[in-house]
Amino acid sequence: MTRRRIGRRVREALRAARDIYEGVFIAPYRAELFREYLRRRDQFFLIAFADLLGAPHPIGFYTLELYPHLIEEFHQWHRRLGVEHAPEGGFRCC
Amino acid sequence: MTRPRVLFFGGKGGVGKTTLAGAVAVGLADRGARTLLVSTDPAHSTSDLFELPLDDTPREVLPNLHALEIDPTREADRYIADVKARLADTVPPRLAGEVERQIDIARVTPGAEEAALFDRFARILVTEGTSLDRLVFDTAPLGHTLRLLALPEQLDAWTAGLIARREQVHVLGRMWQRVAGTVTAAEAPDPVRDALEARRVRFATARAILTDPGRTAFYFVLLPERLPILETERAVRALAKYQIPIGGVLVNRVLPDDADGEFVARRRARERHYLDEIARRFGDLIRATVPLQAADVSGVTGLRALRPLLACDF
Repeated sequence: MTRRRIGRRVREALRAARDIYEGVFIAPYRAELFREYLRRRDQFFLIAFADLLGAPHPIGFYTLELYPHLIEEFHQWHRRLGVEHAPEGGFRCC
Repeated sequence: MTRPRVLFFGGKGGVGKTTLAGAVAVGLADRGARTLLVSTDPAHSTSDLFELPLDDTPREVLPNLHALEIDPTREADRYIADVKARLADTVPPRLAGEVERQIDIARVTPGAEEAALFDRFARILVTEGTSLDRLVFDTAPLGHTLRLLALPEQLDAWTAGLIARREQVHVLGRMWQRVAGTVTAAEAPDPVRDALEARRVRFATARAILTDPGRTAFYFVLLPERLPILETERAVRALAKYQIPIGGVLVNRVLPDDADGEFVARRRARERHYLDEIARRFGDLIRATVPLQAADVSGVTGLRALRPLLACDF
């Protein structure tokens, strides 16, 4: 075995070890972090736009002014709710 | 000692809130205080009182006195138009029609006009009115007004909660971007959080003004009759709960001593009973007693005739 081949083997092993470490420790953390992010974002929408789901809330009229900033996130939100098109009676993005 | 700058006049429907608020505003203006009289009752009668066509922009009634009537319909329309204008920048053109339709639906939901009225009220209180010496609010009947005055506290708490959640979302989004290696160099501002914060600051400032005895005083107008006495007593307790400073009680339409006749004498006996009741229940809160007038109180001249009230130091 040449020294070059040994060097390559070691590098491959190190890369594999890093991938295993990532897969075992980092990836679940990353996925969990992303899920937590989506959960919190859903909660925010649920509270900010509860009136769209039929639950009146005190600042519904004032959250209208947030629509221009939230149109993209709003679209993702109702898709995640399992609603293919934006709920009736509120803001429509699709 | 400086007097509270913001005066509210409230009471049960038909007790003479508009008249007494108008008379106090005229009295203040006559003494040289730059005064704005604002009607928050959607069923306005300030125009009728001054025999002037008033609307939602301040109009001069006298030197030093301007008056306006908040128009909830117009406020709501203005707000909706503003939201639509800003949507035009972010909504793809193919969706524009649909978006406009949905915003129009939000415009007619219950509570929209109340929210719009409150928004204008808060703006006058916090910004527009600050260049004046005195703000006199002629309010809607007590139920509506208690709600209006309770709103800043409730909306402040509500908005603060929403901001906290939005910040959590923002932080988690940044954390995830960092882990995923897609983090952008600059901390992006969150326009949603900023918009909510601007709202919250207005609610909190309105609340700070409304609960400060150095800046605000609420006056109850009542008649020597059973129902206004009972309702006012409940409202005094409700205002105390919301920590809104009470300026006092004004007893309106008391039979003058020189009114004569058998019928009037009998009425006066009844009235005596209720005046005692008012003294017992409100005691040193009573600031003025305004006699019943022979003629309708109307116009600036009519208001100046309400001398016992004008003599009172507000």
